[in-house]
Amino acid sequence: MKSADVIISGAGIIGCAAAYYIAKKGKSVIVFDANDNIGNGGSSRNGGGVRQSGRDPRELPIAMYGVQNVWPYLNEELSDDVEYHKEGNLRLGKNERHRKILEGLTEKAQKCGLDVKMIDGDEVRRINPYLSDEVTCASWCPTDGHANPMRTTLAFYRAARKLGVKFYSGEKVIELKKEAGRLDKVVTDYGTYTCEKCIVASGYESREILHTVGVDVPMTKMLIEALVTEAEPKMFPQMLGTADADFYGHQTNHGSFVFGGGTGLEPDNLDYGHLSTQSISAPAICRGILKYFPILKDAKIVRTWTGFEDHCADNVPVISNVDEVPGLIAACGFTGHGFGIGPVVGILLSELACDEKTTLDLSALRYNRFKASI
Amino acid sequence: MRIDRTRDLGPYVEKEGDDRIICRCEEVTQGEIRKAVHDGMFTLTEVRRYLRCGMGLCQGQTCGKLVRGIIARELGEKPSELEPATSRSPMRPTEMHVWANEETNEEGA
Amino acid sequence: MKRYDLIIIGAGPSGLSAAIEAAKRKMNVVVFDENARPGGQLFKQIHKFFGSKEHKAKIRGFVIGEQLLKEATDLGVDVELDSTVMGIYPNREIVVRQGDHVNHFKGDSIIVATGAAENMVTFDGWTLPGVIGAGAAQTMMNLHGIKPGNKILMLGSGNVGLVVSYQLLQAGCEVVALVDAAPRVGGYGVHASKVARTGVPFYLSHTIVKADGTDHVTGVTIAEVDSKFQFIPGTEKHFDVDTICLAVGLSPMSQLLKMAGCEMDNSGPAEVPVIDESGATSVPGIYAVGDVAGIEEASSAMIEGRMAGIKVAEYLGFEEAEKGDKEFDKNVAALDGLRQGMFAPRNRGKKIEKTEEGIDISENLLLHGFVADDEIERFPGVTHRAGVHPVMECTQNIPCNPCEDACPKHVIEVGSNITNLPHIVEGNECIDCGMCVASCSGQAIFLINEDTGDGKAEVTMPYEFLPLPTEGQTGKALSREGKPVCDATVVRVRSSKAYDHTNLVTISVPKDMVMKARFFKAV
Repeated sequence: MKSADVIISGAGIIGCAAAYYIAKKGKSVIVFDANDNIGNGGSSRNGGGVRQSGRDPRELPIAMYGVQNVWPYLNEELSDDVEYHKEGNLRLGKNERHRKILEGLTEKAQKCGLDVKMIDGDEVRRINPYLSDEVTCASWCPTDGHANPMRTTLAFYRAARKLGVKFYSGEKVIELKKEAGRLDKVVTDYGTYTCEKCIVASGYESREILHTVGVDVPMTKMLIEALVTEAEPKMFPQMLGTADADFYGHQTNHGSFVFGGGTGLEPDNLDYGHLSTQSISAPAICRGILKYFPILKDAKIVRTWTGFEDHCADNVPVISNVDEVPGLIAACGFTGHGFGIGPVVGILLSELACDEKTTLDLSALRYNRFKASI
Repeated sequence: MRIDRTRDLGPYVEKEGDDRIICRCEEVTQGEIRKAVHDGMFTLTEVRRYLRCGMGLCQGQTCGKLVRGIIARELGEKPSELEPATSRSPMRPTEMHVWANEETNEEGA
Repeated sequence: MKRYDLIIIGAGPSGLSAAIEAAKRKMNVVVFDENARPGGQLFKQIHKFFGSKEHKAKIRGFVIGEQLLKEATDLGVDVELDSTVMGIYPNREIVVRQGDHVNHFKGDSIIVATGAAENMVTFDGWTLPGVIGAGAAQTMMNLHGIKPGNKILMLGSGNVGLVVSYQLLQAGCEVVALVDAAPRVGGYGVHASKVARTGVPFYLSHTIVKADGTDHVTGVTIAEVDSKFQFIPGTEKHFDVDTICLAVGLSPMSQLLKMAGCEMDNSGPAEVPVIDESGATSVPGIYAVGDVAGIEEASSAMIEGRMAGIKVAEYLGFEEAEKGDKEFDKNVAALDGLRQGMFAPRNRGKKIEKTEEGIDISENLLLHGFVADDEIERFPGVTHRAGVHPVMECTQNIPCNPCEDACPKHVIEVGSNITNLPHIVEGNECIDCGMCVASCSGQAIFLINEDTGDGKAEVTMPYEFLPLPTEGQTGKALSREGKPVCDATVVRVRSSKAYDHTNLVTISVPKDMVMKARFFKAV
């Protein structure tokens, strides 16, 4: 007898959501995570954006489907509060170069049917009166928003666990094994398990795992940082980003601001092995924020954190069956924008795992799409 | 350390002191913490992320040990078996304009 | 970026001591402290310290702080106050908040000496204003000159609870009770005795049930607990208080070390860095000393600091290994000296039945905070003879011997084993100079004249309260338990620079009360 119908490597938002939707279809599921904590990777180290605007057309349909059909009903679905707000996203610009970037993104999204438009500085400040006069334009997508990533991931975990999904954290998948041409075994540092299907959703570490059955997804990992302030009076509900991607974030239900940003040196940040932040990052993030929100100058920062982005070579994830290893499904390379589409990806993975036709076309996100440019 | 999360702690049953606030900064009660453990939050980090306890202004300086004790009791383990929370800068809450204002003393910078 | 040979975080006893040793060896040293005043906990310690001369015994804590600070700055150590270290980053870089900006610094070595923070316990009402840490109370009183409250209940009978209770009394507060869930007093018996004799009742095997009040503390209910720390119904006692002080232990503030990637040990009650004898952590060049490396007394913290300072100098080539090791070993010996006796780290949690001399320990002291009348006579410091002579009510083996050094006539002897109980040297005459009384950090020595004629006797006691009694004043003599036992008249009040703010009050009492009267209360 198989250990489980489906084994999932990775208990982040992707793994937990997939586990939940697969269990809901009546299959048995085991989830392993190398870390002790559920959702300890990018799932609890991100800005919480539930955005459609600014996305690559290849993954935009997933984001739009989520905003229309999944996020608004998630609290009910999971009997929890994921703190979802659908109150718009402003992607801010300060100069002509920014305007061009934003216009390009807006035009692409409009073609895909997204309700997004360019607005001028005055209109930006009508939507969010706290923004500085430096902001001269923005793209505005009223159906975008944000949610609490830690709460969402743990809510999926909690709901999946209630459905009988077996979670083991601190147990690392180290090898996949085929038998008679199909994926059959999942080897961890504690034992060997058998399954019908295996989903690899372990962020950057997916690359190493996929290698054990001869599959490579070209991606790098990048150490990025974010910070959180003490609770402040309620100021604005929108999700924010910028044309230069030098600043992003939102105000949480709790009142704290969660803001990300950077020094520009992120691709070269060294991994010291204990998720150490860089001394120059937080000051840079602060300076970035204050250019947009001078009013927050006295807001106290209580915490900073760092985390790895699994940065895919062409900036969109792989969500795909692996042809040469029947039974293996790869879900990785989310490139720093996986949270907002996480719940829908969970649904899509449940469909792949159950050999159903997927709700959305995933052909642009195949694992074998990477080709030489010349 | 491997954590088997198939362990069923049974339903959460209210007990004396559950309405008592444990994390003063974020106003999290003993009952909420116990309930979260029954919901599968088996580590201090998960309970913090789920309920925000220890994530406020004092960063768990006051309640960290208390929360660890409550979780351990609920799991029937020793507090020392639970990994403490991580530690991050800033060690003290710091205004944004202060942290933005760097003096690196770097010559030629 | 400004660079130093050694960056020390925390200007307390261990940090300053490390700075001194490093600076002596020509290292370029900076000490950062987030407080406006240096010295860490030392500047809050107004009591005299235990130990021997080399441990700065019988000197008050804040004076030791001043001495250390002067020594460090004289050696060229840069002590930067109001400087909060926000984080330790890779390559031994720190970011420090100073005023309205942050500075980056790098050190070839870093010593973390950040001390500890107070533990809390919860009970109904624990979040009411008026429930404070004992350390906080001490800061209010001794640094800021503010009375934390008027009527106070102290939870915790460790040295912090005992010392702060005494200081609260000195500040003019009423301490209504000293409570501990443990069945026995945790701190030094002499600290307990000096609180008990003022009339503070001890409630061992008791803890707080609840604090009363709506917007601040107005009262507290305690109850007895069984051996499993469960309340015993019907044993509740209520006190009207405005303040509840919690002295329930300390936890190292080790977050910076953890952030730096140092290997941590969390098998104990609190998380501490894994270190070697010199304080070196698992990260090369980063050291931990003092309470952050494990809770102990300030006296041991100072020695640990010196040891790390020497080893850092060796590590960076500012000191020859052989020479440094010799100095290091001296400090190891001094540290061993402090870690002797009944309260040695290795005896934590053990119940000791007999002193090193083989004498049954005072059970009453452990249960109620004072030595009972029928117990006191069995200790070697308590003798009867003609004329004025010292009675040393020192009943536990602790590493301390200032009394021996203080007596110019060598009447008192502790001996080469510093934890010995003091005894009288036969043949040497007491001259009633009072130096022993003033030098005993535990305030456990009394000068007794058992017969002054007219059926009277005289007891000279250490007295550190205001107002100071005046000669001719009448009142009550209190027993070791703090209960009035007889009328008493003050016959002599001595204050002297040599006594270092410990006044000597001599009272005349009926002859049969000479072994009972141990405190004076004016009426």
